Amino acid sequence: MRHLRSSTTALTVAALLCSGAALAQTQELENPGVTSAIQDRPYRMQHELDLWVGVLPLDAFYVGVYTQISYVYHFSDRFAWQVGRGAYGLAARTPLRGELERTFGVQPTANDEVQFFVGSDVMWKPLYGKLAVLNRAVIHGEVHLLGGATLFRFTNSGFRPGINIGGGGRIFLNRYVSFRLDLTHNIVIPTGGGTTSFSNVMTANFALALNFGGND
Amino acid sequence: MGTATRLMGLSCLLSFSVLAQAAPKPADPVTGEASAPAAAPNDGGVGNVTAATATGSGAAPVAGPAPAPKKIDPKLFDDALNDYFAGRPREAAPKLFEYTEGVPSTDENYAWAQYFLARSLIELKLFHGGAVYLARIARERTNPAVLTKALEELQLLTDRPHDEVMIDEQVFGALDLGFLPAEVAGYAHYQQGLVDLRVGNERWASTHFSKLPEGGTEASRAKYAMLVTRLKQAKKDLPKEMIEQFFELAKDEKLTQDARNDAMLAVARLRYELGDFPGALEAYNLVKLPSLDPGRAALYLEEAWTRYQLGQVHAAMGLLTTLDAPTFREEFLPDKFLLKALIYRDLCHYLPAKRSAKELTRRYSDSLEAVRERDDLTRDPRLLRAASARGSTRRARQFLESVELEAELLGRFAGTFGERMFGYMTRVYDLSRAEGVRVYQQRLTESVRVEADKLLRAAEQVRLMEYEVGLKLYERVKKGSKLVALLEEEALKPNQVSFKFADEYWNDELRTYRFSLKSRCIEETAR
Repeated sequence: MRHLRSSTTALTVAALLCSGAALAQTQELENPGVTSAIQDRPYRMQHELDLWVGVLPLDAFYVGVYTQISYVYHFSDRFAWQVGRGAYGLAARTPLRGELERTFGVQPTANDEVQFFVGSDVMWKPLYGKLAVLNRAVIHGEVHLLGGATLFRFTNSGFRPGINIGGGGRIFLNRYVSFRLDLTHNIVIPTGGGTTSFSNVMTANFALALNFGGND
Repeated sequence: MGTATRLMGLSCLLSFSVLAQAAPKPADPVTGEASAPAAAPNDGGVGNVTAATATGSGAAPVAGPAPAPKKIDPKLFDDALNDYFAGRPREAAPKLFEYTEGVPSTDENYAWAQYFLARSLIELKLFHGGAVYLARIARERTNPAVLTKALEELQLLTDRPHDEVMIDEQVFGALDLGFLPAEVAGYAHYQQGLVDLRVGNERWASTHFSKLPEGGTEASRAKYAMLVTRLKQAKKDLPKEMIEQFFELAKDEKLTQDARNDAMLAVARLRYELGDFPGALEAYNLVKLPSLDPGRAALYLEEAWTRYQLGQVHAAMGLLTTLDAPTFREEFLPDKFLLKALIYRDLCHYLPAKRSAKELTRRYSDSLEAVRERDDLTRDPRLLRAASARGSTRRARQFLESVELEAELLGRFAGTFGERMFGYMTRVYDLSRAEGVRVYQQRLTESVRVEADKLLRAAEQVRLMEYEVGLKLYERVKKGSKLVALLEEEALKPNQVSFKFADEYWNDELRTYRFSLKSRCIEETAR
């Protein structure tokens, strides 16, 4: 009895597999081929100059607001090197810090604030696409991943290096101008200034990107 | 596709696009010159309008309102003008109508009242009603200053669906051109030249066109019209120099983009007919479409044929995918199925080839049946749609639709216009509609026959294709035969990006679809 049941099951599975294969074959016979839209990339980058504004939102005692300038060289549509970026920030103290000072008279001198930082990253741009805007316009954009190194200057602990990872997106306005939004996370290594633990600096920044070359 | 078919299609398409601007004349348009006696109390112009609109259709002439001699206060005209310039055309129109009804045509403000009445009606979106009054000004010519303005307004109205007989033929086609300012005279010369061309009098047309200011828009349009006419006449021997002339026109910035595209399409079609397929493809690529414009189905189909002739079957099939887009679903393109079947056959996919061929007879079975049964073809929805989508039939349909729409709109003004004006305008629109229906039906009967003929030819070719594919399908393959790939697919370039098509059409992709399919041809049967 058990033997009969297993045979029936095997037969059913085989029949299903065969019918699936036959269906696929029929589909292939009736509608052979694949259609794709092959388009020239309307926007291609080469020398990119970025003007940034950004924030360092992670610290509870202050929000760093900074401006940054960077240069990126695009080797291809997939890879680029953010050759250099340099930012200078101002710390806007949070209500928490004010409350500590007013209510408890605490002077948080140990609070390390980022003064400025420089760095370099490699960019990988695996996603490129377009969006229909209310069915009236098409905008193009891409998504990239970043990995690199940053050297921070802190108010207390001085210069400390960090490893930077993150990602971002870009919306093209035209062949020369695009907008870029990046979100990165820096793991700052405890060297110098008497620090003993890793710290984290997150950056959220927005750029006006100017492109030279690439579309010619 | 046979050369003869292409040639016929070429001349038809070109002739539709240009010559039809001065459209085929309905039976016998009444000129309307014999208007009411100048000094007689005005009859509301109904007699004139009747003459202008009931162009030999057999429509019963509408009796005008009984002349009711009534003293008109000259201030009525000033009041009406105040209303008009204060942005109240709704209030101005009935006053101006009353004024034009009550004063003789010798009154110094009579023509102005007609003009502002026309402007008021146009601002109320009763374009045809406005055109009727402007045409009256042009015919009566009681005031030269108003005449020029009326002609300028009429010229603007020709950009919309309009009564071609009343405006193009009876006004611009019949104007005495001696006294007109240069711009209006240019347009009138152009229209009169077109009328001459249409009746086959090229010499007279040349005389009119030679008076057009050099470098003007009309001069360019006239060149195009002349070229198309010559092309129509040279059906067998295509003059090669015409390609250059069309090419020059396609670069003429004074022409509209549509006209330049038409000229470039003419270049492409001529090159195709001469067997210069790379040149034809180059011309097709030079047709510029506005951003995100879906373009024209004929353009894609012709480009697909050109690419097929060049052996670019994958790109040709991509263009056929474009023609399946919702925008083009209602297009009448029987050739499309034939070309698809040819491409599948060339790639030795015989079942899909057979299926594509059958698709034509399946999709158009009702229309083919109607042709075979000798039914009234204008009742067949597919043929009707196809016939009314092109050339002069299309314009007649558009005019009829606009008149019907405006007639509906007129109902909103029943209260404002008053009984007399409303009744008069209703009769004007009823007559124009009746005439519009007659002209449309006349043109439809002719063009539906052309479309039916096209369908029959395609169906015949498809039957041949089915037979050929049927033979191939059961052809024996020798042992040891190898697959051959004679039709290589173009590789993706570094600056290109590929979006796989998933039944979602994007307007920006319509010209860029490419089909990928391996050839299944074996050595013996490979083309």
